Order: sequence, then structure tokens, then C-alpha cells
Amino acid sequence: MALSQPTENICSMTTQELTQNDPISNWYPVANADDLPFRHTFHGKLLGQEIVIWRADDGNVNIWVNRCLHRGVRLSRGLNNGAELQCQYHGWRYANRTGGCTYIPAHPVDSPAQHLSCKTFPAIQSHGIIWSGISPEGVPPKLSFLDGLTPLNLRSLPAKAPADSVNEHLSKYMFHPDNQTDGEGSSLVTTKAYDNYFQITATVANSTSTLALFAQPVDEQSTIIRGVIGVPHNSQNVLTVLRYHNNLMCKLRDVIEADFELKSKISNTFAAVSNPRSATRNIANNSGSVSFLKVRVARKWSTAKDVVGLELLPIGNQQLPTFLPGAHIDVFLPNGITRQYSLTNGPGELDKYRIGVKLEQVSSGGSKYIHETLSEGSIIEISTPRNNFPLRRDSTRTVLIAGGIGATPLLAMAQVLEKQKLNYELHYFAQSDEHLAFPEILNSLGNNCIRHFGLSVEETLAKVRESLGEHNSSENLYVCGPGPMLEATRNIAADLGWPDESIHFEYFKNSKIVSFESSFEIELARSALTLNVPAGKTVLQILRDNGIAMPSSCEQGACGTCIVKVLAGQPDHQDVYLNDSEKKRGDKMLTCISRALSNKITLDI
Amino acid sequence: MSWSTMPVSRRGLVDTAINGEGCTDQVILNQWYPLAAIVELRPGISYQTVLLEVEVGFGVTLNGELIAWRLDCVVIPAGNPLPAENFTDKLLVQSAYGYLWTSLSAEPKELFSIPETNEPDRRSINVATIGIATSAPRAVENFLDMGHFPFVHAGVLGAEPHTEVFDYNVEIKDGEIIATGCKFPQPQAAPSSVGAIVTDYIYRVPHPYCVLLYKSGGFDESRLDVIGLFIQPISQERIRASMFYSCVDNISSDTALRRFQLGIFSQDKPILENQVPKRLPLSTTAETPIRADKSSITYRRWLSDLGVTYGVISAN
Amino acid sequence: MIKLYDFELSVNCYKCRLLMSILNVDYEIVPVDFYPGFKHKSDEFKKINPLNHIPVLDDGGYVIRDAHAILVYLATKYDSTKRWYPIENPELLGETASWMLFAEGTTNTASAARLNVNLGYDFDLEKVQEGAHKLFRFFDEHMWFRNRSGGKWVCDSEHPTIADIALFPDVVLAEEGGISLIDYPALRLWAERMKRLPGFIVMGGIFPASADRIN
Repeated sequence: MALSQPTENICSMTTQELTQNDPISNWYPVANADDLPFRHTFHGKLLGQEIVIWRADDGNVNIWVNRCLHRGVRLSRGLNNGAELQCQYHGWRYANRTGGCTYIPAHPVDSPAQHLSCKTFPAIQSHGIIWSGISPEGVPPKLSFLDGLTPLNLRSLPAKAPADSVNEHLSKYMFHPDNQTDGEGSSLVTTKAYDNYFQITATVANSTSTLALFAQPVDEQSTIIRGVIGVPHNSQNVLTVLRYHNNLMCKLRDVIEADFELKSKISNTFAAVSNPRSATRNIANNSGSVSFLKVRVARKWSTAKDVVGLELLPIGNQQLPTFLPGAHIDVFLPNGITRQYSLTNGPGELDKYRIGVKLEQVSSGGSKYIHETLSEGSIIEISTPRNNFPLRRDSTRTVLIAGGIGATPLLAMAQVLEKQKLNYELHYFAQSDEHLAFPEILNSLGNNCIRHFGLSVEETLAKVRESLGEHNSSENLYVCGPGPMLEATRNIAADLGWPDESIHFEYFKNSKIVSFESSFEIELARSALTLNVPAGKTVLQILRDNGIAMPSSCEQGACGTCIVKVLAGQPDHQDVYLNDSEKKRGDKMLTCISRALSNKITLDI
Repeated sequence: MSWSTMPVSRRGLVDTAINGEGCTDQVILNQWYPLAAIVELRPGISYQTVLLEVEVGFGVTLNGELIAWRLDCVVIPAGNPLPAENFTDKLLVQSAYGYLWTSLSAEPKELFSIPETNEPDRRSINVATIGIATSAPRAVENFLDMGHFPFVHAGVLGAEPHTEVFDYNVEIKDGEIIATGCKFPQPQAAPSSVGAIVTDYIYRVPHPYCVLLYKSGGFDESRLDVIGLFIQPISQERIRASMFYSCVDNISSDTALRRFQLGIFSQDKPILENQVPKRLPLSTTAETPIRADKSSITYRRWLSDLGVTYGVISAN
Repeated sequence: MIKLYDFELSVNCYKCRLLMSILNVDYEIVPVDFYPGFKHKSDEFKKINPLNHIPVLDDGGYVIRDAHAILVYLATKYDSTKRWYPIENPELLGETASWMLFAEGTTNTASAARLNVNLGYDFDLEKVQEGAHKLFRFFDEHMWFRNRSGGKWVCDSEHPTIADIALFPDVVLAEEGGISLIDYPALRLWAERMKRLPGFIVMGGIFPASADRIN
């Protein structure tokens, strides 16, 4: 975004205009960087769209539609825990970067549907300003007049006037480079770079000062005036400069507001975004979950004996999809082999995926290929994360028992529990110190990570027994490791009175309320297609796998979005959407959750 | 007896009455609505309010008769003496559950009954009437919701980490929504509770804008406390909500009971006022329901089936 | 023990509860049915406060009314560090007093709007909302420059004063009176800082800040 060439004109101002841009494709300043201190949630608005802005502990700035997907409560009322944003109403949690829903406390054992994501807007920080837009093109303006100077963000001023009338006045902003007298007498060169952005240089004799002013269009009635000025490094009179411009700008604002007669006090925000249906469009629009994505192996290192760590980065501007603690990805290796690996990422850590791969003694080419052939910089394909091992966050105590490389999904869980300051212990059984994978993560867990080295089978089992203790209500066990260890741990837990539903294994189906165990055929009447729905897959998944678009929303049988007509066969409903008589009639079913009691069911698709 | 010397203020309410498009929803027009607790009305003085965007005057005459009228028909500004003679353009009124109810319709649907209130040893109190900037259906739905207890009423009606909402039953019976088998662990279920208990709830929605909750209060397991939320819709997005409480607690004072219920109510208020949009969307895809929302799913479908359009965003 | 004649939803009562909690002072609540019972207007309550308003504090027989006066009393008597009401620093004391007066203004505008919207009190809503916005604009500017010069609290001191307490609920609960805080980012930041003070307590309408925080 180049500035147009300014022309000088002593004691007056010149304004040059560039072509008008479409407001939808512009970058706008929406906050100052210092509006986002540690764990703050900032309430903003741009072009009639309310937004929530929050900075995660990793520095990433998130800008989302300011509505919880569940019941529409403003997320700006929620809590920023550094990795996730939690809604104040029902505690739904959304991940840093993607806005993906990671946890629904009312159903602690269910994984939220993969596509449940807050609508996000781009966020770029430069010159101390946070920039965003509805669908901005290119990059935010580069303010080259700040080169060699320290950018100083002026105090932002909300004005009760639309951006157009603010712009008229901004172009007439007058100031003096001495930061004392008003603007009369200085030579001002004003350049309009594009809509809502002016660069003004004031010169008197040998002294000169340049600033940029922006109008952030809030809605049809209001605008926020933002500004940035350059001062010499280590400038001593920062506060003087800020106060000087604040005073001048406050005066200007008074003029702007007096000038603009509020036509009506009734808020009349832009139709496109105040329409609740379009504001929530993204909830129901399932763009079809991305099943494969290409990633780059950015780092490969030895994290323990015979274990390499891999950091996988998205290619280009892609955002990695949300994952839930305990999730795994399929890795499609260039040699044609597919392997599953658990993500070891902490909550909200979505700039990369991190996995650990152990070299198997009898490798059919998966781990061997990764260890020996796969190099940093390689491009590989992976699946989106899936979770068969959801972590409850409502336990009074969580015990994680890890054996060897089985620690990886439990590391992701432990980081969530640690971040939320929940009561948990991670017991990591390994041959020796050098066999512990990802020691840097383990160290971040402090005393909650208990390492056990070189124990015999009997000693291990005794230690497991001791760590578990008797079961109290709301305690949960997650165990991952070699098969015999799983089996033994499960038996010990049962022996100590741990109920089945409190013992979690990967691939262990916990909830009996909804079963995905049956297998049956679906006949698609209109498509003349017969498909098989195996155990563990839903009708919805099978339809999508076969390229049949089907809208869905909650994916747990509550909203009715994915409803279809049943022409023949008997549905096994399992949903809460249909009422009893509708269920009895059996002429409709929800493809996300309903199955068939008959061998075959005919759908009107 | 002490009553409010303060007429219900209509300042701030009038805007919505003037600027709204008015209510044309016959289902909603044909209901009874509460205007004020009768004990709070000073006999012989007129009060004013707004009901469904219509300015309404009301009061109790010196003879103890309840009256209400449309202000566009008979103008008596708030705080003036009520004339003794009868009005010609009176609205229908009735006294129920301590409140003065009226309807803009000449033949309103019969007001629901709460049989428990006839038990002689029960105490029924009008807790309070509070203005909220939301739609009536949003307030009803919040009242039906258990999942928010640990987050909005932390330490009282719920506490983390006990956040799970267990399955319960919802049915439509005799034109009302009934949810049974609702259970939630609560640190302090009632003002008289000591320590956490798992509380059993029954919910009842007998009126599009009124909802009742039955729960064990701890004094007599077989007799349930009844808490009601009765809503006066000012406009589509502004309400006055009256809370009703009927219990067999013979220890707690009215002040203590009020303080407890008002405390809970005040925690819900900022949530309701921060829901966007304020009207309840009836389309199943506008928001994201989960299994725990079974009663709200039923409520939204019930409103759709009744053909309610006021205070909601219709599905089509 | 100290007795506080209190109504749960009153911002002025909350100011007293908040300071006593922060100062770790034991007290007992005497609930007054302010709404809808209007018991503060009763003859019985007139014996406690002839002006018929709450809060009233009774400290072993010494009875004092008005939230801001109660804050002065509590801080002087129970804060041995003399930081909440800095009586040993005349300049800071003056500054604190001027912001306490400013808080009278926010109570009479922002909190009056809340009383009108919530409870139907007879105030001119538009007028009190406009008044609150005027004060908040000024206050936001003040807090922005306080932040910019490294300050965290209303007065030019390292430690908060009773002026912070007196202003806090008027600001946080203003949205209940239809006064949006979206234009006052510096006030929102300061309010969040208040919520992280040791001993902080909530009231209906005020939620805690995120539990995870530095230190």
C-alpha cells in the first residue's frame, strides 16, 4: 500500500485521494497492542460486527465474532486463560488460533463436533496497532515514516459520528512540531493514503513531525479515531507528546460530534451483520471437514532414546485444525504407509503439531522410515486430528498412567490439567531417564509429573496400585502404554473399586448412552446408492466420505440440522431432538447419531 | 404493611412503546401478564407501565378493587389519585399468586394453576420484579437451563468441577412442557440448606412467557418448593420479570428468602443482557444445542408449533 | 462484631463489603429488604438511620451512614498501613478526596440508571445515562494516562485507595443501566485489575477475572 506522492503547500493543506476501496477488503486498526495485556479480553467492534480480541500466552492475537456458538453470549464477558477462551455462561472453551471448541462442560466425556469453531478474523500487529478486517486483502499499511523512530500510539478516541464525517475532519487536523502551540502557522502536508487513513507532516523552520490518523468505522453511528506518531528513540517527552495530541484530538472530536447531528438514537447497525441468521451462518455451514492437509516437517530431533520428535507446520497461511487433548493424527508417509500418532501439544498450541515417534523393533516401514529417511523440510500429508480418548475436565482428581511412548496423548492431557490448575498426577513409567520423551514438557508440569524408572513388572504394578488408591467419586483414570500394562492397570483399578466409567483407555467406548457399535447398510433412494455403515462410523460420516453434502451442526443428536426422511427400515434414534411420537413413526432420523435396528435402512437422499 | 410509594417508572420504557412496531402475535396477545405485586400497590394511586408496547395504567382502588386500563383510552398520569367511579375501557384483571395480572385481549387464554399454592401451611411470597434488557423467551430458556449453574451461580446452585448435565425427561402434556428427573449437585440449593446436596428438579412451562420450577427445599422431602418466573413483556427485547416463591420453609424470614432468590437472579441478569441476538432464534441451526439442552430444544419447538412470533426470530 | 445493614444488590453496600473483605475485617450482615419491601423507609429503620438509606455500619455501638463515609472510617481504623486512606500524605489524601467526590457523581448517574432500569426507580434515564458517559469519558482519559505513566490505580500512588473501591461497582455495573463500556477500554482494564486484588469478592452482576494469572 504505497502512499501517493504528497505535494507541499505552505500554510495550507493538500489532500490527495486514492481510489476508494471496498470497506470489506480494507485493513482497519481495531485495537492498540497495549489494549491487550496479560489474560485480558477486549471488546471491540468493526463495521457493525462485534468482536472479541484476546492475546494468548504465546503472543498470538485472536479476533473472533463476539458470540459463543452455544447460546450467543458475548465472549468478551468470558475468561482468557492464556490458551483458551472460556464462555461465562456454560464454560465452553475455544482454542487459541482456530477458535475451535475444545470442551463442553455439560458433557465432559463427549468431544465437541470438529467443525464447531468461532468465526475468526485476521489479526496482524504492526506499529503498535492491531489490524483486522472483514476479509482484508494484502497487508496492513506500512508506515515508513516511522522508520528510525519509536512509534507512539496516541490515545484512541471514540466519536459519535460515522467514519465519513470523521474523515472530513481528520484531514484538517492541525498541530505543531513543538508539541505546545496549536497548529496555526505550521506547514502541514496531509496525504490521504486510502479510506480512513491520513498521514500528516507538520513543519516549522527546521523542526518537523509526522503522524498517521485512522478512522476505525465502528458502526453507522460511531468511529474510533486512532493515531500513531514517531518520536526519537529514548525520547524523554513521550507523555508531553501524548497529552498534546490528546488535547488537540479531544477538541477535534468535540467539533466532529457537534457537527454530526445524531439522526436517531436507535442503533441501526449494518444489516449484513446485525441479521442474526447471517451472524451465525458459520455455525451451521459445514464446509465439509478438511480430511487431509499437507504439512512441513519443520524440526526433527531426538527427544528420548529411540524416540524422535517431529514438529509439523502448516504450509502457507493455512491454519491447523483444532485438536482435543488425547487426539491423534494419521500420518501418510511418502512410502505409502499410514501410521497414527498422538499430538503432544498443550492447549491452544496450534501454530504446529508435535508428535513423538518411537523406533519399533519390528517396524514394517513406518517408524523406521521416519527415523531414517524423513528429513526436516519434507512435506507430508496428515489427517485432521481425531479423538477417541476425550478428557473430562470435571474430575476432582485425574490419574494419568503412562508407559513408555504411550505417554504422548497423556502429555497433551496433562498440559490442559496443568493450565486449568486441576488436581492431577502423571505417572510416567520408563526404563531410565534417557527414555523419557519430551522432558521439556514434563518439566513444565512440575511436581504433578512423577517419574518411575527401571521398575520390574511387580514393582510397576505395586506402584500403580499405590498411585491409584481407593476410588472416590469424580475421579478418573487415563492409561496408555503397552497392552499388558493396560490390562494389568485396568484390573488393579477394578480391584480398588474404580468403576468402569472412570477408567479410560484409548479406543475404549465410554458412554453407553449413545452406541455406534452396530453395522448396517444405507440405501440412498434418490442417489441409487447403497453404502455400508460400519461400527464406529456415523451415517453422516459415510455420506460425506462418499461426497454427499449434508449440513450438520451439533453432531450429537440435539439440533436436528442433519435430519433425513426414512423411506424404509427401522431407525435406532438415540437423539434428543425428535419427540416420542416422531420416534415411534420412524419416518425421520438424524444422520449424526441415529443408526438402524434393521440390516438396511432406506433414506430419501 | 409497607408498600411502595414509588410508582412504577415509565421513564425509559416509553421509547420502546413508541418506537416498536407493536405486537400482532395473537398467541401472545391472548395471554395474561403480571404487572405488579399487589401488596406493593398503594390503594387509590395510579401506576403506569408498558405491556407489549402499549402504555397501561393500573392500580388498586380504595375499595380494594384491581383495575387496569389502556393509557391511550384513559389518561391518568402515574402517581395521581384513582377516580372512584368505574372506567368504561377497563382491561380484564385478576389476582393470582400475589400479582395483579391483566391481558390486552377480551378473551384471554385461562391462566395456569399452581395447585400447591392452595395448601394452607405454605408461604408464598413475591420475591421481586426486575427489569431486564432481553426477550421473554431468552429469560424462560435461561430459567430452564441447568448447565450454567457451576459457572453463573458458582458456590450456590453449582460448583466446578461438577459440570455434567445428566439425562432427564421432557414431554409435552396437556399443552405444557414438563421436564422431570433433572438432577444437579448443589452447594447451597436453598437459603436453609447446609452443605452440598444433589437436588431434584421438575420444570414446567405452562405459558409462553412463564416458567415454574419444583425442587425439594429440604424441610419436607415429599413437598416441593415452587419457584415461578412470570414475565411482563414490555417490548420484544425488554421485560420485567417477577419472581414467585412458594415453600414450606417456616424458619427463614421473607427478607432472607428474598435476598437468596434476588442474589441468584442478579447473577443471571448480566448473562441475559449479553446474549446476542436478544430475541430467541427458533431455527435449529442459529445456535448450537447439546443434549443437556433438551428442555430448551423442546421449548423452542413448542413456541414454533404454537406460532409465536413475538420475542423470537422465527425459523422461516 | 461490626454489623452492616445491607442489601445484596446495592452498589453502595457492596463497596463496604468489598473493603472489609480486602482488609480482612470480620462483620455480620443485617439484611434490609430494600427492594421490593422498602424496609429502609420504615419507621423501624429510621431509628438506625434518620435519613432512611443504606448502608449503615454499626461498629460496637458507633453508627455511621453513607458508603463513602463508611469507607473513610473503615480504612482509617482497620488499615494499619495507612495506604487505603493515606492520611499521612496530604497531597495523596487530597487527591483521594477529590476522586471520592467524583464517585458521588458516578453513583448519582451510572448507578441511578441501573436503579431505573432494574427496579423502576424514577430517574430520567436518558439524562443520567448521558451524565454517566460524560464522567466516564473523563475518567477513561485519566486512567489511560495513569497507565501510560506506569500507574495502576485511580490516584497517583503505588497502592489502591478507597477511591478505587468507591468507583469500581459504579463502572462495572453501568451496563445494567444501559451504559455500554465499549468506549472505555482503560476503565475495563482498571476494573479487571481491581478484580485481581487479594480479598476481592463478587456481587450479583460482577464476575471474577480469569483465575490463572501471573503470581
